[in-house]
Amino acid sequence: MKILVAVKQVAALDEDFEIRGDGRDVDPDFLIRDLNEWDDFSLEEAVKIKEAAAEPVEVMVVSVGTDEVDESLRKCLAKGADRAIRVWDAAVEGSDSIAIARVLAAVAQREAPDMLFAGVQSSDQSFASTGIAAAALLGWPHAAVVSKLTYAPGASSAVFRRELEGGLLQEVEIQCPAVLTIQLGINTPRYASLRSIKQAASKPIEVLSLADVALSEADVGEAGSLSRVRRMYVPDKGRAQLIEGDAAQQAARLAEIIREFKGARA
Amino acid sequence: MGHPAHAGRQVRTRVQDLTVSRTDAVTRILFEAFSATEVRLFYLLGYAAIAVFCYGVYVQIRKYRRGAELRLEGSLGRRLGAMLSAVLSHRTIDRRDRAAGGAHRLIFYGFMLLFAGTATITLEYDILEPLFGIRFWHGEFYLVFSLILDIAGVALIAGLVFMMYRRGWMHLPKLDYARPDRVPGDPDFNRPQYRREDWAFLWLLLIIACTGYVLEAARLVWLQERADVWDTRWWSPVGALLAEGMRTIGLGEQGGGLLRHGLWWFHGLIALLLIALIPFTKVKHIFTAAASLMVRDPLAAQRLPRVPESQEQVGAAKITDFNWKQLLNLDACTKCGRCHEACPARAVGAPLSPRDVILSLREFAHATLESGAVPAAAELDIHGKAPGQVAMETLWSCRTCMACVEICPVAVEHVPIIVQMRRKLVEDGAMDPLLTKTLQTIHKTGNSFGESKRKRGAWSKSLPFPVKDARKAPVDVLWFVGDYASFDPRNQKVSQVFASLLQEAGVDFGILYDGESNAGNDVRRVGEEGLYEVLAGANITALKSASFKSVVTTDPHSFNTIRNEYPDFGGKFEIEHYTTLVKRLFAEGCLQITRPLKYRVTFHDPCHLGRFNRGYDAPRELLALLGCELVEMGRCKANSFCCGAGGGRIWVPDPVGSEKPAQNRMKEAAAIPGLEVYVVSCPKDLTMFEDALKTTGNEGKFVVKELIELIREAIPARRAEELPA
Repeated sequence: MKILVAVKQVAALDEDFEIRGDGRDVDPDFLIRDLNEWDDFSLEEAVKIKEAAAEPVEVMVVSVGTDEVDESLRKCLAKGADRAIRVWDAAVEGSDSIAIARVLAAVAQREAPDMLFAGVQSSDQSFASTGIAAAALLGWPHAAVVSKLTYAPGASSAVFRRELEGGLLQEVEIQCPAVLTIQLGINTPRYASLRSIKQAASKPIEVLSLADVALSEADVGEAGSLSRVRRMYVPDKGRAQLIEGDAAQQAARLAEIIREFKGARA
Repeated sequence: MGHPAHAGRQVRTRVQDLTVSRTDAVTRILFEAFSATEVRLFYLLGYAAIAVFCYGVYVQIRKYRRGAELRLEGSLGRRLGAMLSAVLSHRTIDRRDRAAGGAHRLIFYGFMLLFAGTATITLEYDILEPLFGIRFWHGEFYLVFSLILDIAGVALIAGLVFMMYRRGWMHLPKLDYARPDRVPGDPDFNRPQYRREDWAFLWLLLIIACTGYVLEAARLVWLQERADVWDTRWWSPVGALLAEGMRTIGLGEQGGGLLRHGLWWFHGLIALLLIALIPFTKVKHIFTAAASLMVRDPLAAQRLPRVPESQEQVGAAKITDFNWKQLLNLDACTKCGRCHEACPARAVGAPLSPRDVILSLREFAHATLESGAVPAAAELDIHGKAPGQVAMETLWSCRTCMACVEICPVAVEHVPIIVQMRRKLVEDGAMDPLLTKTLQTIHKTGNSFGESKRKRGAWSKSLPFPVKDARKAPVDVLWFVGDYASFDPRNQKVSQVFASLLQEAGVDFGILYDGESNAGNDVRRVGEEGLYEVLAGANITALKSASFKSVVTTDPHSFNTIRNEYPDFGGKFEIEHYTTLVKRLFAEGCLQITRPLKYRVTFHDPCHLGRFNRGYDAPRELLALLGCELVEMGRCKANSFCCGAGGGRIWVPDPVGSEKPAQNRMKEAAAIPGLEVYVVSCPKDLTMFEDALKTTGNEGKFVVKELIELIREAIPARRAEELPA
């Protein structure tokens, strides 16, 4: 039995960041990298299923990125993943979320897991599409925003719960293999002590090229993406002003502002 | 006193005049009038008692050897000297309980003299005389010894009677065995077996001592016709007095003989019983406490044990994960309750008593490690709620303030035991989610505030002068600022004041800016050893790459770990707390008080400055220099009461509704009439106590201030244009 968990190393903004020269992203010098918060929960869910199962279950984490990502993968290994795969090729640079999903789907095809978990979204890009796109590419059933899961590895179906508007809960049965995107709060992710992260260094991180997962350069990067980020920027700050003076002065000033705003004559 | 274990001999001469007696005839009556069978029986029983004793000692030593290995540092001679000094002076037992110390001293010296007396008789009767024909137990030597032993017996009885009164009538809370980490009804809630054992021990000793006197008196009555016995009777004054009493109520020689014969056996048998029981009962503290004092680590809490790189498992999961010394520590505990009394967590009703952690583990070791074979690993798990196990709530209640270690009269080292158990909890992620979050934050950003590394030195931007970057330019004094003083807005103000004081004093100083990380003191005390190693490693690298003469810090927590723990990781730096540096600046005239303060103040010793590093004097001298009137709180210096922030507890709020240690402390301070300023010298203290001042309703009555702020007040800042460039 095998559960594949797609994880992402996300970027968080440091204080006083600057935008990259090409204006399409933040200068990487000002980013603090960490494992995507949602992925902590999806990994924990997989590890819990593994620990509760009578049969041996293999939990694999997969990520797309440079060797910077190894730090996050090692954290996953420390938390109980058995294997880690990282796919990278310079051509992947510039991929949109669908192109990344193409890589993940290719890995899923290669590994043939019983289940593929992903986080609902990544905290830095928030497209919330990678997991679902991978399902579409694989032709697997999928569900988003899962907040409770009952699944025995190897079973032909799983039952999960979703939270809807107005306090409604929805219970769904889904055929396996499936892709589920996992919502925050589904469990309590465990702590990976620094010792365990260090010890996880001995667990292997398998690095795959595009060819290893039967993809070509045309499938990824800007070539394989139908969307591209045009620019990233901080909007001009909205203006607010405090009107001072007594009530009459304040009212007069307010009326003046409204007239200015309407373009009416004084 | 009757010492039945040793045989007498024929008395040949009568002693007529004691004062001029030079005869060696007078000696101790031992086996006189015993049949050969009786003597043989007694020896048999004696050997049996010694055999049981030896077996017990073997079982105990085997138990300790089942613990993990530990190599002790330091010379054996010095250790022996330190132990003897503590034992003979009773210094550690006197602390915070003079009466108990005095009574124990009477019992100890009484018992030791009587034991020495018995041992001397054995030496002559069973060894020296039969082998070498040497005799000394007679004549004047005997008479003087007999007098000394009689006095020793009085001391022993007096001590025992006081201890009985203390246990039975003084109702000391520290002698109440009810546990804060259990509820009534739990099988190990208040452990009445301990109470029974305490009393049995006292009674046993008392009966042995009293029957000794009665036996001595009966012997005198029995042999009243023998001048060598009767005329020297006042060398055993208590026995002689009792003998006079017996004669008055009509006891004759024959009756005395019978009484002596019967009592001889009774006294002898319970004395042998005591010997046999030593290794199996609390009596063993005679040995275990002394041994524990001998292996004492003076930096037990200040410098926590490292986890060897090669070691797979981190922290203590099983009883056998403790080293032999720690297992010995468990057995050394005499349940005196001093740690129970000193513990700030216990004082506010948290489910922790250091005493009970030790006793629990002792019961656990007793149940699992004293039989022939060590049980399977699953049965050695010390974490949990079953009898003998320690619950995680208990372990997380600890603030590692060292109050328990510091006061323990027998050198039990609770803090490393608790931290080693926490390390296991951290490995398992068994901790408050807030603590998990904090550790992740510290790992990610290098500080507990989750602020950007870049902002670490931001507090210095508002100063009218630049603070040197010690990574870029050499400095005389490198200031290790620490998390709270760098990021907490209230403490940033203190940091700014301290920087300006240093500037005005002409000190060439600098900071590491974002090269500095959380020092790791509290991370280590939480039990996250791996993260501590990362933090310590990063700081040591940063410090080593800077050029400076010495390090100063305003943070006692950073002070402790850099001073005591970094050397284990290759970082040996000369570091001092700011109080000693400022004191020197005053002494050298670099700082001068222009406006003496007349405040009535009290001073709170930070755990990590005071108890941990004995920095009691410098802050007090500074306060005196400032002109403040210092009124000490009852719990001060070594007995200072932790603010509750230690051991990572500053990152986990105390349960709602219960008293916090800082509030408990505020109430103590509020009782000082006319108190104006509650002075602290630790950033965490400032945070904890300013909060507690409000929540205890003392706001407006007095204020909490950093000592640095008082110094500033006494040296009004010069105008900017007067500042040195």
